[in-house]
Amino acid sequence: MKLENARKSFGDTSVLKDISLTVNRGDVLAIIGPSGGGKSTLLRCCTLLETLDGGSLSYGDLDVCVNDTQGNAVYGPPSVVRQAKQRFGLVFQSFNLFPHYTVLKNVADAPISVAKVPKAQAEERARALLAKMGLAGKESMVPCELSGGQQQRVAIARALAMNPDVLFFDEPTSALDPELTQDVLRVIRELAAESMTMVIVTHEMSFARDVADHLVFMDGGTIVEEGPAAQVIESPQHERTRAFLRNYGN
Amino acid sequence: MDFSTMMGILLSGLGFTVQIFLITLAGSLPLGVLVALGRMSKCKPVALLVRFYISIMRGTPLMLQLMFFMFGPYYIFGLSLGNDWKYWACSIGFILNYAAYFGEIYRSGIQSIPRGQYEAAEVLGYTKFQTFTKIVLPQVVKRILPAMSNEVITLVKDTSLAFVLGIMELFSQAKALAASQVSMVPYILAGVIYWVFNFIVEIVLTRIEKRMNYYHD
Repeated sequence: MKLENARKSFGDTSVLKDISLTVNRGDVLAIIGPSGGGKSTLLRCCTLLETLDGGSLSYGDLDVCVNDTQGNAVYGPPSVVRQAKQRFGLVFQSFNLFPHYTVLKNVADAPISVAKVPKAQAEERARALLAKMGLAGKESMVPCELSGGQQQRVAIARALAMNPDVLFFDEPTSALDPELTQDVLRVIRELAAESMTMVIVTHEMSFARDVADHLVFMDGGTIVEEGPAAQVIESPQHERTRAFLRNYGN
Repeated sequence: MDFSTMMGILLSGLGFTVQIFLITLAGSLPLGVLVALGRMSKCKPVALLVRFYISIMRGTPLMLQLMFFMFGPYYIFGLSLGNDWKYWACSIGFILNYAAYFGEIYRSGIQSIPRGQYEAAEVLGYTKFQTFTKIVLPQVVKRILPAMSNEVITLVKDTSLAFVLGIMELFSQAKALAASQVSMVPYILAGVIYWVFNFIVEIVLTRIEKRMNYYHD
């Protein structure tokens, strides 16, 4: 995934100012920074939940949007956008599982209804993914019967079921208590070990350091500092990054 | 007149009452979806038009609306539509009136579905149509069921307004019987029949509510 010179404003508030990011296959990128710094908006723009005002975005050979001569973002035709959506998945802070579907249907329905995978095949794969998430035996439950950590793992399985090239996480553990957080982080670590390409917005610094190759610190709609995860967290160069990380006891 | 004869006449009226009830539901439940979508439409003229329609339907008496559809074709267009027109006027009046109420209930349900549901569906690649029919609508049904129950029970009683069109439904029969027999009994029996009808409606609706209780948000 490649994002260049991304700009986004809500009204008069400029939320993203000239952001450029490249995520290569197998990379794990962590994005940290204070609330309101533009992290979530960045993710929402990458996952096409928001449109960029300016800049370009591409997934592999697919140009989702490009800059015109005035520097305004011009989005590709619906077919390109639809194709691009097949290339990423998103895990939300608040899970956003479909409450009226069973766990199995939450995971298997998009492959069946959207990707037109045969039902038996989609369900078999869904079961395998759920087992991998440590959720074997919970297939016929509904989300409200699961703990937050289990729900988030269902959400990860749901995203993985569409075989995304890159998986985005928007503060996946912020709605969870510390114990449940560990279950979710373990799953993400396992995915990293399998070279899953991931972009993770997180407040878990030690996790970011362990799991991410690359780390971006965002504040005020700009990338203040970026580099290898361990380096940015252990010896930040910018005063703003240092001040932020001090709150996390680093 | 013996009791069974009286009951027979009242139950023949109940036949029309049930017909009006079922036709109204069959027409207004789906039409209400269009009303709700029209009311929320981004196209301003459509939204405005639907708002006006809802306002008229809720703001004027159903009895008056029935008279309008009954006699409007003749007084406005000079059309004589025959003796069966009253059944059409009745169906049109009830369906249009209840669709307005149902539409508003649907809208409240649709707007109560969290944004996150739409976003999750969008990222997974569901089309707008799939998102609405597979993700949103089933959740809306659960949320609006209590409000819908109120309206459906009101509808059972509102069918008596067909009286003004000369349709011999339950209430009309009761009134005719009371007059000819100089007796209060037909009204009491009609009251009992309406109540039993609604009691059954309540049981059915409670059962549907229970069936949807397999999850909560």
